[in-house]
Amino acid sequence: MTNPSLSGSSMSPAPQGAAGSAASTPSVAPARSAQKEGNLGTFGARIAEEAGACAVMALERVPADIRAEGGVARMSDPNMIKQIVDAVTIPVMAKVRIGHFVEAQILQAIGIDYIDESEVLTPADDEHHINKHNFKVPFVCGARNLGEALRRISEGAAFIRTKGEAGTGNVVEAVRHERAVNAEIRRAASMNEEELYAFAKDIGAPFHLLKETARLKRLPVVNFAAGGIATPADAALMMQLGCDGVFVGSGIFHSGDPAKRARAIVQAVTHYNNPKLLAEVSEDLGAAMVGLTISDDMKGGKLAKRGW
Amino acid sequence: MRLEADGVHGVHLGQWTSQNGDHSQELEVVIGVLALQGAFAEHQDILQRLFVSSHFRSATSTAAHGQPLKFTSITVRTVEELERCSALIIPGGESTTIALLLRLSNLLEPLQEFTLHKPIWGTCAGAILLSTEVANPKKGGQEVLKRIGVRIERNGWGSQVESFEAHMDVPMLRNPQRPFLGVFIRAPVVVSLLDAISFNLKAPQPLNHSSTISPPPIEIVARLPEHLLPSQTCDSEDDHNAQSVVALRQGRHFLTTFHPELTDDDRFHDFFVRRCVLPSVLAQDHS
Repeated sequence: MTNPSLSGSSMSPAPQGAAGSAASTPSVAPARSAQKEGNLGTFGARIAEEAGACAVMALERVPADIRAEGGVARMSDPNMIKQIVDAVTIPVMAKVRIGHFVEAQILQAIGIDYIDESEVLTPADDEHHINKHNFKVPFVCGARNLGEALRRISEGAAFIRTKGEAGTGNVVEAVRHERAVNAEIRRAASMNEEELYAFAKDIGAPFHLLKETARLKRLPVVNFAAGGIATPADAALMMQLGCDGVFVGSGIFHSGDPAKRARAIVQAVTHYNNPKLLAEVSEDLGAAMVGLTISDDMKGGKLAKRGW
Repeated sequence: MRLEADGVHGVHLGQWTSQNGDHSQELEVVIGVLALQGAFAEHQDILQRLFVSSHFRSATSTAAHGQPLKFTSITVRTVEELERCSALIIPGGESTTIALLLRLSNLLEPLQEFTLHKPIWGTCAGAILLSTEVANPKKGGQEVLKRIGVRIERNGWGSQVESFEAHMDVPMLRNPQRPFLGVFIRAPVVVSLLDAISFNLKAPQPLNHSSTISPPPIEIVARLPEHLLPSQTCDSEDDHNAQSVVALRQGRHFLTTFHPELTDDDRFHDFFVRRCVLPSVLAQDHS
């Protein structure tokens, strides 16, 4: 393996900027590019960089807008992504559709720092994910449980995030996914080898990765929270549940004061165990994202079901 | 719930030499790891392993002339935690993020003061924070500590896909015949070493310190071979010479542009603790 972020010691080195296993990592904020208002993408990215984000996601629309507008959601315009790369000095991520390896080839060709193979976009393949070992650029993928996380790592994902329910401003699904992964890791950690073989079959995970996870008592790569985080308290909740960092998108850009909220969430991720400081940064942030109740008939449906 | 990873991990080295429980002479060495963002957990893991290794225990015991030493590592997010430290490691991560969080956490000025008396090691983003000038800061500039006289370029090799690993010969490490695997992830490049005069002019003048004190010389600890350097033209032979430098020391401070914390190899941590931290701690203990 030539990519440092994919190789390495017992704990895979985290991609820089997203770094730190068992380490807090300030939020990754999508840069929103608006169809109407010229170059809002670079503007959003600069808000994120100035707030202390360690990376930004280049997107035409935040998930809340994708949900509201419907239709097929695809990889962003490479020119828009390149403008964001030029506007900031922190790493830039971009999303590709599940299974769409040519979108990934395009992003690698323009020198993007990380690729998110994301259920927020409309899947291009209803059976296969991208073989991420074929790429030098590191990938992040969503997971709802341990089996799904280890399948993605087996395909070459360099780090994992909860799926949550993107664009809802509702943290309940991200909590569900993080708790599911943790509970399954705790079960695996108490198993002997025979039981691990059976458990690997049950959850559809490669045995060697399950065994390594049981030994480490955590995923062998970093694990971020994503999908529905809207407040500093949400971010700290996910960190206290064991996440290594947080992605925030709609929760910032659909709030009253994105710059202030982004900065508060960055601080909450670092000081997640300090309630006094969390109280300070949570003050006077203006209106939070309104948010949605999670249900099968909500606008845009459940995105977390995408991916296999 | 996450197991609290921020606990203090201490190792008593003195228990073999002071079995009667005489802790009055025990010297506590606290290595802080700045835990605002980045690879701090990995640094702490390596320090834990280093502190209990037999080669480290015997080498530090010899250096301290048998004085009992207790090595501890702690994560640092507050001024109170910083004040406990004998030395600090600033990990890899995003330098803009770490700098902003230093300021928002009211740590920037205490850290400036800390650097005047105690050693700091910066890896990757941490190296940028220790530098005096940043060649390509984010828009609007970014704050640095100005403690090592180098001009440094962020992401000097380019984006993530230009990240690489390389074996390096480092004569100053333990077992120098064994190459060290350098992990360079969006790594910075030292573009020039600032001479004493320009460094002195640009460094902030500490309170109560004479401005005539010149900075200590720069000691090169590791270089990359020519063929791995970023392909860009240099203004001068000196600058070309500087670009191959990936680890250097100036006085009590140390920087590496790569990530020793992302390997299983503890030799750079061993170097920092034994060569930068221990002399500083022993000198302060005797003064």
